[in-house]
Amino acid sequence: MDLYRYRISGALLLAASLLFFAATGAVAAIDGVTGTSFSFTAREGVIANPDGSVIPIWGYANGDQAVQYPGPTLIVNQGATVTVTLTNQLAEPVSILFPGQKVTATGGASGLLTREALPGGASQVTYTFTASHPGTFTYYSGSHSDLQVEMGLVGALIVRPAGYDPQNKATWTAYGDARSAYDTETLFLMTEMDPELHYRAGAGLPADTTGFFPTIWFYNGRAAPDTMAPAGAGWLPNQPYNCLPQAHPGERVLMRIIGGGRDSHPHHTHGNNFELIARDGRLLESAPGASALLVADAPVFGTVPDLAVSNFTQAVIPGATYDTIFTWTGQGLGWDPYGAIDSACTDADHDGKDDVHGRMCHDASCTDTNGDGFDDASKEYCADHGKPFPVRLPGQQDLTFGQFYSGGPFLGSAASLPPGQGGFNPAAGYFFMWHSHNEKELTNNDIFPGGMLTMFLVLPFGTDMP
Amino acid sequence: MAGASVFFQCPTLSNPGDPGSVIYNGTFADNVVVDGMIRADQGEILNPVSPRQVCVHLSSGDGFVNMADKQLDPDGNGMGHEQYMFGFKNITGIPDAEAMLAGMLAAEFPAPTLKFKEGDEVYLSLTNVGMMMRPDLFDPHTVHWHGFPNASAIFDGEPMSSVSINMGATLTYYYKVIEPGTFMYHCHVEATEHMQMGMLGNLYVTPAQDGTQKSFGGRTYSKFAYNDGDGSTGYHVDFPVQILGFDSNFHDQHIAVQPLPFAEMYDDYPMLNGRGYPDTVNPAPLPNSFDGRLSQPIPALITANQGERILLRLSSLSTVAFHSLTVQGIPMQVIGEGSRMRRSFYTTNTVTLGGGQSMEVLLDTQGVAPGTYFLYTTNLDHLVNRQEEYGGMMTEIVIQ
Repeated sequence: MDLYRYRISGALLLAASLLFFAATGAVAAIDGVTGTSFSFTAREGVIANPDGSVIPIWGYANGDQAVQYPGPTLIVNQGATVTVTLTNQLAEPVSILFPGQKVTATGGASGLLTREALPGGASQVTYTFTASHPGTFTYYSGSHSDLQVEMGLVGALIVRPAGYDPQNKATWTAYGDARSAYDTETLFLMTEMDPELHYRAGAGLPADTTGFFPTIWFYNGRAAPDTMAPAGAGWLPNQPYNCLPQAHPGERVLMRIIGGGRDSHPHHTHGNNFELIARDGRLLESAPGASALLVADAPVFGTVPDLAVSNFTQAVIPGATYDTIFTWTGQGLGWDPYGAIDSACTDADHDGKDDVHGRMCHDASCTDTNGDGFDDASKEYCADHGKPFPVRLPGQQDLTFGQFYSGGPFLGSAASLPPGQGGFNPAAGYFFMWHSHNEKELTNNDIFPGGMLTMFLVLPFGTDMP
Repeated sequence: MAGASVFFQCPTLSNPGDPGSVIYNGTFADNVVVDGMIRADQGEILNPVSPRQVCVHLSSGDGFVNMADKQLDPDGNGMGHEQYMFGFKNITGIPDAEAMLAGMLAAEFPAPTLKFKEGDEVYLSLTNVGMMMRPDLFDPHTVHWHGFPNASAIFDGEPMSSVSINMGATLTYYYKVIEPGTFMYHCHVEATEHMQMGMLGNLYVTPAQDGTQKSFGGRTYSKFAYNDGDGSTGYHVDFPVQILGFDSNFHDQHIAVQPLPFAEMYDDYPMLNGRGYPDTVNPAPLPNSFDGRLSQPIPALITANQGERILLRLSSLSTVAFHSLTVQGIPMQVIGEGSRMRRSFYTTNTVTLGGGQSMEVLLDTQGVAPGTYFLYTTNLDHLVNRQEEYGGMMTEIVIQ
């Protein structure tokens, strides 16, 4: 095939990728509210979806800010005494349950599962708990739950382990030691909706949840492709969170997964297996500190707890939470995913860029001083370094191009695309779809594609992650 | 290349001493395709580029299959409800000039089983022959090797992040197979539609440890699910069993060129390996009622001799739901999932798989009386072929 490959200068590449991320709002950490004392208000609102539907919701708002779906992600520190004060502006009693926490509720009125805030905003409830255990948790309404959780009264709770410092990457772990260390983290709060229930409840009509039949599915309150739109996008005022995982080769990606609705969903990662390291905020370990290598014989990727389970699809059941570690290097492909060796390139400092010109390039070296099989800096798999691409690709007229395709098969170097094709991958990364594998759930009210779907991005080494 | 073309790639060396002398439409021995693949280690490739080279040619297109409701056949001909489908066909060994014709209306359900060995270097060519019964469609297709570890975007078959092949042309995927396990494959183009329409199949990889002798639990094995080191995953016979389903409304609307009912999708024909019970236990390939082609070639019948260990390679490519499977009378030992050996095994009577999940289960028939045992879903509403009861997602295990 007549692939005309070209290299983009490092500066242009960075500018292009910044443009891309300015348009998508990618971040390496999870958005949410931090602190110890929070004030929630349960209110009515609406969400907007890619199929054009506008669906009434009941949601938790952070103080007097916009009501949102899902509720504000609470990010607190291990050991903190957390208080959440709930005010109710809905027409029926509402509350919050925090599974896995020992909660004291005061104020409001007595309810079946916990104390409730009564309608009208007059009676507030205060929930207090000590965040004694790090991990991924959820919260949701304990009042009229079959309808209220469906309507949107659900959110995530993340407890940072003792010693966590957002400014110091060396302290980034989910559970306090190296077995749960990560470089980037993403939340996957998985929910579904039956819009008919929302239209009825939103209009003040009785809504019978026994006929529940969902037709739209969400990661973090958004259906695809909005999952990949900027966090805090102005056109989604009630859906502030996106879902855009990304990493460089060899980095550890922490997925915090929550079954937030009433259906189960198989969450599938293209690109590689992950390791399930924790369930409902508890590490999968046989004894405190027991560990195993994340990938057998490759200590470069670090460790996981010894009862971790490798898989490519995680069954996510209602109310449960899962923490997984994912890595990608392209190890063992049998060809060099970085393309042919560029004899005009000298990258002695192994930063993925030519030492003189600064352009992204792939030089002749793969430096593995610690003997783990990977380049010390880029985590390129050295055994495949310089191996040729094994097949001929068809001509462009025989192919249909995806919008996340860089034009060529190589990581970090784009190639020509027909006019109007591609365009969402200026950094020439590898995109992998992460999605529900009950494929019906990749639709938005009868429209494909959509639903529980997002794209994970492997950024080329040397490309900055905003 | 000018113009669309069929191009089955099986590269060979024009000069056996020169690794750089690769020609992509290589030569191979005629009429030696015994397992649906052309393998260098069986001497079927002349001057291969690798001693473990394997070449496969699949077509993608459309076709028809019949469901198992022979008694309450809504079509009235006793062959069961006819369903329009998309699917794959193995056309390995057919000359390029004849490949399009060989693939047209030849879709099979499930797709041809792909069985590789750890260490293989696979060249899988996919030729899109178009949808004969839907000439209004111009859909490209892909092969997605579901679960391939450390995949590249270009060979992942997910069309948003790579390329897909247009009608009349061929795209060749390359896989260096470095991990054993039970995977699966499917087309990923417009995934909800193409998967519901039937572009789904079994794919598994046997480990390098196969062929060695290992004793475990008083028996000696030479076949294993994984490179366990101790024979603990040893088995005598293995069977891939894939959970699948058809929503007859979706298929009927499709051939009628109507808008596709995604939101209403519900599989009223739950199946194992592309068949509902009792078709699952019929060892013969099944013809369709459209043109008589044998479009359902794979049974789901499981047979073993008493005392043997059976390896079930379970996977689900249901597009709709989770399913639990049970085996009556024989404990199920779960030894692997997600194409990785579990760090610890466990024994159970039910396993649950959502779409995209796989699991290896050992059934030990030592001490099990000869007879017929049942493997079926405990989602009991799926033991039907639409209106017809005593059917659906069930098959038999016959111990002799």
